[in-house]
Amino acid sequence: MSWGPFLLRRLAVAVPTLGALSALVFGATELLPGDAVSAIAGPSATEAERDAVRDRLGLDRDPVTRYLEWAGGALRGDLGTAYTGGRAVTELIGSRLPNSLLLAGLALLVTVPVSVTLGLLAGARAGRRSDRVVSTGVLLVAGLPEFVLATVLLWLMAAEADLLPQVSLVPLGGTPLGTPEILVLPVLTLAASGIAVGTRLVRSAGAEVAASPWVEAARLRGIAGTRLAVRHVLPGALAPATQAFGLVSGALVGGAIVVETVFGYPGIGLELQQAVAHRDVPLVQGIALVLCAITLATVLLADIAARALDPRRGSAR
Amino acid sequence: MEPLARRTLLRSGLLATMTAVAGPALLTGCGSGEETSAPSNGTPRRGGTLRAAFTGAGAGETLNHFIGGTAMDMVRARALHATLGDLDPSAPDGVRYGVLETIEVDDELRAYTLRLRHGLTFSDGSALTARDVLWSLHSPAEDPASLPVYKNPASTFDFAGARVEDDHTLVLPTLAPVADGRLVLCQGNYLVVKENSDFSPEAATSGPFRLEEFAPGEGCLLTRNEEFAHPELDEAPYLNGLELRSLPDSEARAAALTGGQVDFAHDLSPITARTLRGDERFTVTSTTPPYVSGLFFRMNLAHEPFQDNRVRTAFKLAADREAMVESVFFGDATVGNDLLSPGFPDYADEIEQRAYDPDRARQLLREAGAEGMSVTLTTGPETPGMVEVATLYVENLVAVGVDATLEELPAGQLFADYPAYTGLPLAASFSVPTPALPLYQMSYGGQNPAALGWDRPDVDELVATARGTSGEESAQAGLAAQRALWEEGNTIAPVFKPFTTAQVPGVSGVADDLFEQFPGFSRATLT
Repeated sequence: MSWGPFLLRRLAVAVPTLGALSALVFGATELLPGDAVSAIAGPSATEAERDAVRDRLGLDRDPVTRYLEWAGGALRGDLGTAYTGGRAVTELIGSRLPNSLLLAGLALLVTVPVSVTLGLLAGARAGRRSDRVVSTGVLLVAGLPEFVLATVLLWLMAAEADLLPQVSLVPLGGTPLGTPEILVLPVLTLAASGIAVGTRLVRSAGAEVAASPWVEAARLRGIAGTRLAVRHVLPGALAPATQAFGLVSGALVGGAIVVETVFGYPGIGLELQQAVAHRDVPLVQGIALVLCAITLATVLLADIAARALDPRRGSAR
Repeated sequence: MEPLARRTLLRSGLLATMTAVAGPALLTGCGSGEETSAPSNGTPRRGGTLRAAFTGAGAGETLNHFIGGTAMDMVRARALHATLGDLDPSAPDGVRYGVLETIEVDDELRAYTLRLRHGLTFSDGSALTARDVLWSLHSPAEDPASLPVYKNPASTFDFAGARVEDDHTLVLPTLAPVADGRLVLCQGNYLVVKENSDFSPEAATSGPFRLEEFAPGEGCLLTRNEEFAHPELDEAPYLNGLELRSLPDSEARAAALTGGQVDFAHDLSPITARTLRGDERFTVTSTTPPYVSGLFFRMNLAHEPFQDNRVRTAFKLAADREAMVESVFFGDATVGNDLLSPGFPDYADEIEQRAYDPDRARQLLREAGAEGMSVTLTTGPETPGMVEVATLYVENLVAVGVDATLEELPAGQLFADYPAYTGLPLAASFSVPTPALPLYQMSYGGQNPAALGWDRPDVDELVATARGTSGEESAQAGLAAQRALWEEGNTIAPVFKPFTTAQVPGVSGVADDLFEQFPGFSRATLT
């Protein structure tokens, strides 16, 4: 299959998926306890004041109409207006998203090489002691929720060793890169989770490739160790590993919700947590939709990258 | 404040790495400490930038405190805008004036004359006048988006009939005779904003500090307003600057303090406060009445068992208040007496403290035929300690034979659907420091939905009399109204919790600003 039909086919799946997710996001926020009227009008509002707010927000219209209007706006880049402060949702997301992407990007930079190294080491030696050590280790980390991991790292590296700041306060008027030390703990927490998932996926792909006839042939030719892993196992495992990292990337952006809250890092995750607390429905919907879109985009990009890296492309297909 | 050698070393290494990767442009915003000037003849030290952490909102945060309900909104507003006055039980009028010189009341208690100090200016050099005061009090009442607290003066004063007599004199007629209007106006949260302000970062302000930098959801940097004038504070504010940081989580605020990232952390949970009390590097301070928040439960009179006052009394007697104070707040809280607003001048402290009497509670329930009744108490983590107190109270109810269960809603959900909340049989809530009689009119009187069925025109009348008269007549009416609430009311108020803050030892003078639940820093110093 050439690139054109391949891309069209992937987009034909991704676009309706995003549409379905948008309906899911909108429906889920409709089902949240509480209503926007109470959030805005306040507990002591009279019924007339509540009606005025309901009318102003158009909440007396049926949900389908409101969804179509919201989805139509989203297609035009308009995700509505936040209840808190009355600013455009896209503007608020735009002010926080770069911080989260930086966090996720740095975590990915750590995750990929470590996962590939550990995954190949374990996969190429499947069933042996090194495989068991790596697999047990990553299973242990994978079983830890991110907030536990974050707390352990905080305790070890900030509270006890006093090596790093406990809270990721970005200097006012500055950027996170201006104080890189505030990024270390959030990145390590995200990366640890990513490494746990990534290593297992790479190990699985690596083990499959390691058992293939051409790797067996290489072994028979006396090739072993690092050379076997890098020159014979890695090329075959690269494509499935790339797809795995697409999924990991999506998980890293999603994982930012917990990590940013624990470290007080001003990203889209902390913003979502606060939007939920303040029942700012348009902002919750907007952030959730953007997170869905980012996850879909990373998976799509990973698919494309995997196809480009697949050594069998052109012969097997 | 203290140099952190290991962290500095690590930072140097990281910066070197970042510089190598991204170039020298990244090396910006690396602040350094400031010197404070030595004290001269006993006056407080001047200088330094104090860093303080508060609960804030997200990126949608604005400078308009009329619509922002977080601690950060209030604290930042009090730094930027001058206050009308603060409650001060030790002062002659019960208030300490800010921009006002006096508030005079006519003999009929129908008109309040607010007299402003002379020579007050905004940061743009324009004069602060009576028109600005009127706009600051009146405009929130006209804006549907304003928080209820800023609309409260409109339930006492007739702003449509207000008269600006000259630049320094404002006359506010009342809607009914009111004796406690000073307490209504001078609660620390009514601030003077320049008429028709757009609340932009460039807008003129009149408070002790001026805005330098505002990062919504992250914080703000303020510098001393050299033009700030207050007769009691010759050289105040003493700080060169104030950096307010937004951290929604109590643990994160404490972590920022212990990690040396801030000097002052606001509104800590009881357990965090207890941990910090054991650390000699920090001073933990708890507010005292009236600056405390009541944790209370309200029985819904629409639900049949609660229509019997014996049941209501039994539910009050069942609460082991001392145990709640000890277990939840480690002793750092005040036992409540089923009345709100302890510490305020109009609070009826003559009424005897309700005892913990589970035997009498069982007996009353038996007499009312409500033995073994089922009830669900609904609560949520809206403020530190709220769920824990509710948990203990449910145990208390079970101990007197009530089939009680607890429903804990996620944060932010308890009041989310207010009509549903007002239908709950037994609902938790909390109060903010407000004088007792105005609070009654705001939350109990006139069949207010928040009162969950309390409908007593006779008590409403007593409160109106108490607020509309002065001297002995007012005191007796106020006492009678609160006694009726104590004996027959549907509120169990077992605990009043303080607002607990922690700070490094060099910080002082914060409490001198009064309105301690949302601290001001006009008198704060840093050494």
